[in-house]
Amino acid sequence: MNRNAGKRIFFDAIVFGYLLVTAIIVCSHAAEPELLVYLRAGLFVLCCVAGGTVAMILRARGIQTLGGALFERPQISDSTAPRTWYKTFWGGSLIFLFLVTFVMGWVVTDMDLYELVDEHALNGAGRLFAALASPQFDILPTTILAAIETVFIAFMATVIAVPVAFFLSFLSAKNIMGGSAPSFVCYGALRTVLNIIRSVEALIWAIIASVWVGIGPFAGMLALMIHSVAALAKQYSELVECVDEGPIEAIQATGATAVQTVRFAVIPQIVLPYISFTIYRWDINVRMATIIGLVGGGGIGEILIQYQGQAMWHEVGCIIVVIAVIVWLMDTASAYIREAIK
Amino acid sequence: MPESILSIRNLTKTYDNGVTAVDGVSFDVDRGEFLAIIGLSGSGKSTLLRCINRLHKPTAGIIEFDGIDVLGLPPSEVRALRTQIAMIFQHFNLIERHTVMSNVLMGRLGHTSTLSSLFNKFAPHDREQAMDCLELVGIADKAHVRADQLSGGQKQRVAIARALMQQPRVLLADEPVASLDPATCHSVMQYLRKVNREMGITVLCNLHFLSLVRQYADRVIAMKSGEIVYCGQPDAIDDDWFARIYGEQARQVEIQ
Repeated sequence: MNRNAGKRIFFDAIVFGYLLVTAIIVCSHAAEPELLVYLRAGLFVLCCVAGGTVAMILRARGIQTLGGALFERPQISDSTAPRTWYKTFWGGSLIFLFLVTFVMGWVVTDMDLYELVDEHALNGAGRLFAALASPQFDILPTTILAAIETVFIAFMATVIAVPVAFFLSFLSAKNIMGGSAPSFVCYGALRTVLNIIRSVEALIWAIIASVWVGIGPFAGMLALMIHSVAALAKQYSELVECVDEGPIEAIQATGATAVQTVRFAVIPQIVLPYISFTIYRWDINVRMATIIGLVGGGGIGEILIQYQGQAMWHEVGCIIVVIAVIVWLMDTASAYIREAIK
Repeated sequence: MPESILSIRNLTKTYDNGVTAVDGVSFDVDRGEFLAIIGLSGSGKSTLLRCINRLHKPTAGIIEFDGIDVLGLPPSEVRALRTQIAMIFQHFNLIERHTVMSNVLMGRLGHTSTLSSLFNKFAPHDREQAMDCLELVGIADKAHVRADQLSGGQKQRVAIARALMQQPRVLLADEPVASLDPATCHSVMQYLRKVNREMGITVLCNLHFLSLVRQYADRVIAMKSGEIVYCGQPDAIDDDWFARIYGEQARQVEIQ
């Protein structure tokens, strides 16, 4: 109860602080660099403190705020019908928050519809599209070789990641590890590490790997493999967490050990979804391998960036055709296989 | 040797969310007895059974199984205890994607080393015994069928065979017929009686229907809000007692 109140106030403080900062910036007609200066000066923190005060006052007066709706759900009473959500205070503030953020976003991202339809800009885009639409197929053999490299990069990354992720998925599943304090600590630590690895994009891992083992397909494979381990372990462990408890109870009741229980009650339930996720991951990895080539991870992305750098748009067009075909093939194949093993 | 195989004193189980499912329950179970436990859903019957084989850890009280203090056992000995106390469930809890044979063999996990079970290796005489158990419940012809191909009644018989593989001394049955139709229901109950009478296995069985209790049980315990409100002969539960156990609005339903 108290922890939820804390969460609620914290959340509301940030919401109100954010609105307050926005209001101040708009009122002072501050330009973008100054906005950063304001932030550095701790204006945001000050506003959050002010927002926190507002949040506490609202809570004391019993007004349901956004944070309250999220963290402190009131008991549903039968006597009064609840108001439609957008007529409530929290619903109204949600809509207001969204509108403010949309307008802020418009300004921050330099949205300019005029640039999109400017005559000069349209001409340039037109020339580029014309070149891409008439691909130069002389480089097709090289492109296909690079494409094959890309598929193998993705394949190796997935194959190596699967056993590691399989093993880690049990150690990062709450229902397996929640039993005792030491195993729960191990679960928490592993979850954190995996989350950190996963939150670093494969593209960044490729940059790290290309420094580590040198530019080339190996670096690309390594980057995808690291990212796949974390992503698969997360997906796998979620599957482990939603297995039917009944068979687990039944196997435990025979006097089985924890390892035997996992082997006989958990694994049979998760094999098919595991395979399905693994194929999907390979599919994702093929698409990612293309991108990773751009930063030195080998494969088709590498030649794409070369021709793009020389503005050889007809050749780029050919590469794009090959990429499209591969992605389409992988997509269809993986969807078909996943459907077949359901 | 004491007369009772199970002796339960002041057993209490409070869940982490503060709900007390079993509240100071005491009773004895005689060797070879068929004991039925009745009561509404949520009266604590399932929790009580799960405390006996330590699937749930009781909050307080004493459980003695054949003179052994069940609650003081370290994990490895809890597993040894579980090999002697088999359990079947309302939803059968078979491994659906495995064959009937494989499911029955899982009853031997407590006697099989972790390493050999990882590779699904069981002793040859375990397979023979599994066939015997399947024959006992009349389903030997389905040995190599996948469990998800079976009907509810067949699944429960496989579950009984899996329990028998443990060569248990006590069988806990948690609502074994609650998901079955009335006809299959009697077939499963008859197998439970057979296990009880012919093999001398003590049976503790959670049931919903009083008519089944009267037909199959030697003795009955009735639970209400985690406490025992009745303990005695099934025939002695008259309309008055029935109303007390199930509430005034309840009506008796006959299962033919």
